[in-house]
Amino acid sequence: MKHTHLLTSLRCALFGAFAVTTSQVQAESIAITNATVYTVAEQGILSQATVVIDDGKIIAVYSKDEVPKSLSADTLIDAKGRILTPGFIASQNLLGLVEVGAVSATRDGSDKKADLTFDASLAFNPKSSLIAYARKGGITSNLVMPHGGDKVFTGQSFIVNLSGEFDSVISQTNAVIVSLGSSRKGSRALKLQTLANELEDAQKSLAKAEKAEAKNKKAKAKDKKEAKEPSRSQKVLYALLAGEKPLLAYADRATDILALLKLKQQYKLDLVLVGASDAVLVSDEIAKANVTVMMSAIDNLPSSFDSLHNSLANVAKLTKAGVKVIISNSGESHNINQLRFDAGVAIANGLAETTALAAITANVADTFNLNSGRIVVGKNADLVLWSNDPFEISTKVDAMWINGQAMSLKSRQDVLRERYTTDSNMPRAYTK
Amino acid sequence: MHKTSLSRTLIFSNLANKVINKKSALTLFSTSLLTLGLTACLPNEKQDAKVVINKNPYPSTYQALPAQNTLLTNATILTGTGERLDDADILLVNGKVMQVGNDLASENANVIDMTGKWITPGIIDVHSHLGVYPNPQVESHSDGNEMTSPNTSEVWSEHSVWPQDPAFQAARAGGVTSLQILPGSANLFGGRGVTLRNVPSHTMQGMKFADAPYGLKMACGENPKRVYGSRKVSPSTRMGNVAGYRTAWLAATEYKREWDKYDSDYSAGKNPQAPTRDLELDTLMGVLEGEILIHNHCYKAEEMAVMIDLSNEFNYHSGTFHHAIEAYKIADLLAANGNCAAMWPDWWGFKMEAFDMVEENAAIVDAVKNSCAVVHSDSSTTIQRLNQEAAKVMYRANENGFALKEEDAIKWITANAAKSLGISEHVGSLVAGKNADVVVWNTNPFSVYAQAEQVFIDGAKVYDRFDDKYQAQSDFLLGQNLDNLLDKQVENQVTKASTTPSTK
Repeated sequence: MKHTHLLTSLRCALFGAFAVTTSQVQAESIAITNATVYTVAEQGILSQATVVIDDGKIIAVYSKDEVPKSLSADTLIDAKGRILTPGFIASQNLLGLVEVGAVSATRDGSDKKADLTFDASLAFNPKSSLIAYARKGGITSNLVMPHGGDKVFTGQSFIVNLSGEFDSVISQTNAVIVSLGSSRKGSRALKLQTLANELEDAQKSLAKAEKAEAKNKKAKAKDKKEAKEPSRSQKVLYALLAGEKPLLAYADRATDILALLKLKQQYKLDLVLVGASDAVLVSDEIAKANVTVMMSAIDNLPSSFDSLHNSLANVAKLTKAGVKVIISNSGESHNINQLRFDAGVAIANGLAETTALAAITANVADTFNLNSGRIVVGKNADLVLWSNDPFEISTKVDAMWINGQAMSLKSRQDVLRERYTTDSNMPRAYTK
Repeated sequence: MHKTSLSRTLIFSNLANKVINKKSALTLFSTSLLTLGLTACLPNEKQDAKVVINKNPYPSTYQALPAQNTLLTNATILTGTGERLDDADILLVNGKVMQVGNDLASENANVIDMTGKWITPGIIDVHSHLGVYPNPQVESHSDGNEMTSPNTSEVWSEHSVWPQDPAFQAARAGGVTSLQILPGSANLFGGRGVTLRNVPSHTMQGMKFADAPYGLKMACGENPKRVYGSRKVSPSTRMGNVAGYRTAWLAATEYKREWDKYDSDYSAGKNPQAPTRDLELDTLMGVLEGEILIHNHCYKAEEMAVMIDLSNEFNYHSGTFHHAIEAYKIADLLAANGNCAAMWPDWWGFKMEAFDMVEENAAIVDAVKNSCAVVHSDSSTTIQRLNQEAAKVMYRANENGFALKEEDAIKWITANAAKSLGISEHVGSLVAGKNADVVVWNTNPFSVYAQAEQVFIDGAKVYDRFDDKYQAQSDFLLGQNLDNLLDKQVENQVTKASTTPSTK
């Protein structure tokens, strides 16, 4: 079915024939022409650029002057100058693990018995009604962070795309989550001690195992002992010590942050600070340690004694100090589509637009080894075409691709609205 | 002790003329009959002093901040009455809006050029828990829900307000000039709400909106039945909820009858025994008299419809439905009955009763004639950006067949909110004679980049984004991050002194 459409009307392309052809053809090629492309990469912002996608990947990014005279693609889309960005990546939520907050049977994000081996991706529901709604905010993938139990280690995060398909989970158990800082019961000190002790014990047992293995190698065949299998928890800790998995650490107060930076240095951890309300007090230390901070852009109230320095300007301040920031809508799952507005508020409070965009795309991808978050050849074709400025409330998503597939932007909310705004002389239930 | 039927009608004129007029007429008729009958057949005796309920025992002490007459010129003005004036001026004199229009002049006003800026009425939030669920969110400050009985009409949220909640300052920086502080929604009757002026004060009374009627918080649905059902106490179901409301209104009706009889007997020259005061019933009686407005946490269409019938059964007005997620399903009914619906743009999914959210809810409600669509926050975060909350509704609606403009959407957070709170005589619109509650925005307030630059309450500047002098700070945050080293303190004092002009 390789043939080239030359479409004059984008609207027609998006809402008519185009949507139909993509649903029928798995790996069709698409060329998006005349776009203002926010690459979130070295190329910066390209005007009148063309992006070609094929087989789910970005295969070409042409600046205005580089566009070849004849473009061959199954579908050609004239963006008419509109902005094309990488799909946004949300984080720090329970998407797909909670349908209705107060309905306990729809909650799979925590379990009293959960420990650091807790893999909540097994519970992820790609058919959740939250997913289509989230796409309306330009979100194409998401880092889900379960809440675990009441232990310091609350489980492991995972990454999904928002295709709504059964193969949505991109990577399971990709990072380990710890929850530090104040709580109503007990002392924060014991949490830090527990974390430090676990790391120390793991390092010791790892060293012991290595020593035993070395000894074993030298030993004669009859004296060789079977290596002791590490426990499931130990394996996770070993991965942390090897820097194979990031440690996502919830901490707000500066003292907790500094303690974590120390542990990072001691154990060579791949540390990501989460929450980090008072990070501005130690921004230089965080920058020096090259640690990424995942935080809300709109939490500006002193919600606890750990967060007396919350401010709308914090993202901008940290960035200025050289800290890489990921903006997330903290704790929210149903309205993660508002991530772009949060980024907009950060911009209004001093953050550069390109930095804000990176904070919800490339920075997340880099931190969690995702092949997306930038418009660069070879990346997954997770793209969003916007009616205007992506951060502005008046703007909407005009088109979205996940792995090169055009996505629907209709959610259950749209269907409900249609039912109650369509005239009928029959009860509403007949309007479908 | 009762206000006259005239004042009753005035208070409710915004909400339900028809219903209340009918009710007032009935009351007048029965009172006069009773009075005639009593004077005719009972002998007079020496009267004791009349027992009168003090309806304002915690009066406002609010005073406008120092103000000067101000003329703001060349701005885009959204008046809150559905009008937009371009390149327009507004004159604030003696705390009131004197004039709005083009090319205004004033001899003794401070003229400020606002070219490129937008001006709106002060933002009003009908649903807030600032001060009763303040920041920091610690147990010691959790004072918003008297979860000890399904009917706690006797509690008043004003007695919980911590005026040092830093969120008041944050809300002011978002242009909020008046707000209603409500009790929580655990109970069928949560208690009285109070409307405040968003001025810094170290007492609640210093913030209290003197002319605002009290609100009575009611709650439908999941919260009361969950809280009490889990304790094996009624209500544990929605039908239990309604039985609870009806039982309470029956008692209130009896209570009111007793006081009416006492009043009429006393007027007739008799010396009747005054009924025993009951704080819970005082509040409910205030509703039956039209002096206290209902603010009902009620998400679902079918429940709002029942609450309207309930109000007709007991002859009061069902007021404003808060968090009315499903208001769009009964927009006609709400408008016909004179109810306001206060809505979020998009919160949903945290409970079953919040599952049927549509982003266009407020727009659909607003599209009906005589409607009263309000956008509220119920949040110390979104109260800071109610302009953006309204913007979300407007733009999503316009993507789906509506043609709303800024001058329409601003009403949801100003004029309609004032109507819901019974304060629209004073605030909510920029019309000559209204209180000069004004917000100056750096750009179109429906932009994500919009920021309030200056906020005026009663003509006095209470916030300026670029002038530290007009940025109040809560006692709680004061001195939290002092320099510990004496050298540094001295150094900072010196720097401060050299940059601040001497007042001597």
